[in-house]
Amino acid sequence: MSNKDELEKLNRLKAPMPSKAARAAAMTAAMEAFDAAEAEKTTTSTQGFALGNRLKAIFDLERIFKMDIRVPITAAAAGLLLMPLAMQLNSTTGLVPPADINLPFSTTEPAIVDLEDDAAIETRTQAKSEMTAAQDGDSAETAPSPVPEPVMEAEMAEEQFSDLAASAEAPAAPAPTTQILSRKLQAVTGAQNSAIVSGDEAAFAPLRDRIAVPEMPAGDRFEAFSDQTQVSVADQPLSTFSVDVDTASYAYVRRALETGVLPPRDAVRVEEMINYFDYNYPAPESAETPFSITTGVFPTPWNANTRLMHIGISGYTPPQLADQPANLVFLIDTSGSMNDADKLPLLKRSFALLLDQLRPEDTVSIVTYAGSAGVVLEPTEVSDRRTILDAITTLQPGGSTAGAAGIETAYRLAARNFDEDGVNRVILATDGDFNVGISDPETLKSFIEDKRDDGISLSVLGFGQGNLNDALMQALAQNGNGNAYYIDSYREARKVLAEDVAGTLVTIAKDVKIQVEFNPATVSSYRQIGYESRALRAEDFNNDRVDAGDIGSGHTVTALYEFVPAGMSDGLIDPSRYSEAEPVASPEPGEEYAYIKLRYKLPDGDVSRLVEQPVTVGSVFDATAMAGNDQRFAAAVAALGQKLRGSTAVDGISYADIAALAEGALGVDAHGYRAEFLDLVGLARTISGEGVCAHSGVDVDCR
Amino acid sequence: MTETVERIEVDSAADAADPPLDQLVRRAKSGNRAAFSALIADHYDMIHRVAWKWCGDGHEAEDVAQEVCVKLATAISGFDGRAAFSSWVYRIVINTVRDRQRSAVRRKALAVAHLELAETEDAAGQEEALAAQELWQAVRQLPAKQRDAVLLIYAEEKTHAEAATILGIKEATVSWHVHEARKALRRLI
Repeated sequence: MSNKDELEKLNRLKAPMPSKAARAAAMTAAMEAFDAAEAEKTTTSTQGFALGNRLKAIFDLERIFKMDIRVPITAAAAGLLLMPLAMQLNSTTGLVPPADINLPFSTTEPAIVDLEDDAAIETRTQAKSEMTAAQDGDSAETAPSPVPEPVMEAEMAEEQFSDLAASAEAPAAPAPTTQILSRKLQAVTGAQNSAIVSGDEAAFAPLRDRIAVPEMPAGDRFEAFSDQTQVSVADQPLSTFSVDVDTASYAYVRRALETGVLPPRDAVRVEEMINYFDYNYPAPESAETPFSITTGVFPTPWNANTRLMHIGISGYTPPQLADQPANLVFLIDTSGSMNDADKLPLLKRSFALLLDQLRPEDTVSIVTYAGSAGVVLEPTEVSDRRTILDAITTLQPGGSTAGAAGIETAYRLAARNFDEDGVNRVILATDGDFNVGISDPETLKSFIEDKRDDGISLSVLGFGQGNLNDALMQALAQNGNGNAYYIDSYREARKVLAEDVAGTLVTIAKDVKIQVEFNPATVSSYRQIGYESRALRAEDFNNDRVDAGDIGSGHTVTALYEFVPAGMSDGLIDPSRYSEAEPVASPEPGEEYAYIKLRYKLPDGDVSRLVEQPVTVGSVFDATAMAGNDQRFAAAVAALGQKLRGSTAVDGISYADIAALAEGALGVDAHGYRAEFLDLVGLARTISGEGVCAHSGVDVDCR
Repeated sequence: MTETVERIEVDSAADAADPPLDQLVRRAKSGNRAAFSALIADHYDMIHRVAWKWCGDGHEAEDVAQEVCVKLATAISGFDGRAAFSSWVYRIVINTVRDRQRSAVRRKALAVAHLELAETEDAAGQEEALAAQELWQAVRQLPAKQRDAVLLIYAEEKTHAEAATILGIKEATVSWHVHEARKALRRLI
């Protein structure tokens, strides 16, 4: 064999497609360098550019999508690029401290900042292997940024392109380390969505809020929201909210803590953390009153002057609903970024778990988008398990073809196979690429709403991190009457797919709203814990046109209020001088703390029904320890959630106290979820530096 | 932004003869942000492909590609248009690879390389791919100039003249490097 033939083989080398993330990061870095170069040309100060850019960089979903929407479908490959690019243009800046660059989550706690040298990160971070690898290679490699040696040596002299080479080589020197590294950090930080803290709150805000440590771009996006505030009952006796049985936030928080950092505060939705767990509230006995409401009032573990009101709701599953056939269409993101072990491969591995939960006559279809587009599996009965598993196995992330009509295809399949008596649902699995064919979020939402009204719901399974668009995920699932989940591990996949999806599949009630009316004779002020994003106006409660959350078979809903009993003061709100407590519509005023109303619609109904129950003094426990396991455990979860959000309300409880509270309330804990929570409290304690007593000069109790 | 969109509607092609590319390069050169963005978008795949062939490692290729994009940002204003834009880009990529490989740290990445290739090939092509890969590993061990010449001509299927332009050497020098490479490969394989 001659050498010539041999060498010809080289043209068989086919380079794989670059990952979208790398591409986007390169684009961003290039644009930054370009801007910097331009700024250098025009002004002497380049620093001002970076700062100004950061300040302006309030992340705006719409901008991205507006940009995207103008991209014609024929140029969809370019569109794929534009979206992450736009995110990045708003985000990555040279201000990112290189030492922290590998952390996937933001850290703002100053106590850890001290510890956050490379070594500390190394030991505490159980980062994914790819991250570690990247860190080893890249930081070592790019940091010194060696001045390039003259290239082409002697030949350069005899070359007509000497100036060309010079121009290409010269800029290599300033190639910023952070830009190279920032590829690992995608898109936008939570800081740009950061919560709005009012003046008063800011004054009392714990250290976490006061320190001007910039949050780092983490890529995952969360809707910003402020904590609920203490409300005087005289002003506002009604508290109205929609149920929320999503659990995505808990999984995200867990992942952050397990990685060794505190989650971004907007990633912490306390109600989702609370509702992650199974609670054994007594089930309703019949379809007559399809919801049971369990209440309890006990001293707040973190504030001796207040009481905690616990509301636990459990739904009744009519036997005929339990037998509902399911028509599931999986819409799976196969973009290159789904290649990570904790994304598509994880979904593949856990798919069989879901099939186990379905009945043989249920149907499953699979549609892909982003990477490769199209119908991978026509509606197939679960009894044909082999075919379904084969189809899911063939899924390969990558490729540059944009799946333009992904979502429409999915809904078309669902509609074609529509089962009037069953559950018809599209399940979107993605790591944040919502380029499903409809790029404007509002259009997408109304599309999903339309389909919901046709009887097809939508659930979203979020995978991985770095690009997760939590806000949109939540919004879509809420508009689609479905649920949003965040799946970070096989364990979570099992919980979601095998235990929850099977439960959520069978919706037992929709548009479930709760209104709590506090009795001014017994309660002076209250504060709802969590549910910030689920709050409704009082008048929405009776308005059947206002959409709210659904409850699936086997789900429980838990809500907590912290309230100040009449006659006591938490010092926050002075008693009103003029308004007298108005009598409430209750047979025996003074004996009730509150009155709970729950509205729901049957899955196929349009008119809501009402379930009511008072919270009487009969449900009061004099000591926290006397409350039930479920109630104490929910309180512990609420405490952790609020602490992670940096809420001052829970300054009175340490992580150690939370752990003790939870430990005493584990109950049966068949799946070990509560035990796992204990571990998380321990991690949060370590990360926050509690016990280290680093919070000098601040009103944080170091125990 | 409008300009970015405008550009993307035009079918992207990294062909030097395409007038829109010239226009784009000219505008990018004069500081037009959208034009530069479109230019990078058009060329990223090509940059990555070349980087990958030269390094044989996905991560390294992505890093090289990013570094090249950053370099282009500052270098574009100095692009004089005497060579085709794509040749110029080739050259920057190859130089970047060379710079980075001077650093010994990179060596450890080589081990990963063949795993990656095998995955992308279908079963039938595996045998051949394996052979090609062995060759390719050998080529990568050649002195940089020989490697560059061989890869440009055989992996990127450039003519000797094109390779000469890209490498900034004479055509005869390219041929000589290829000749030297053959001799060296005979010893290696």
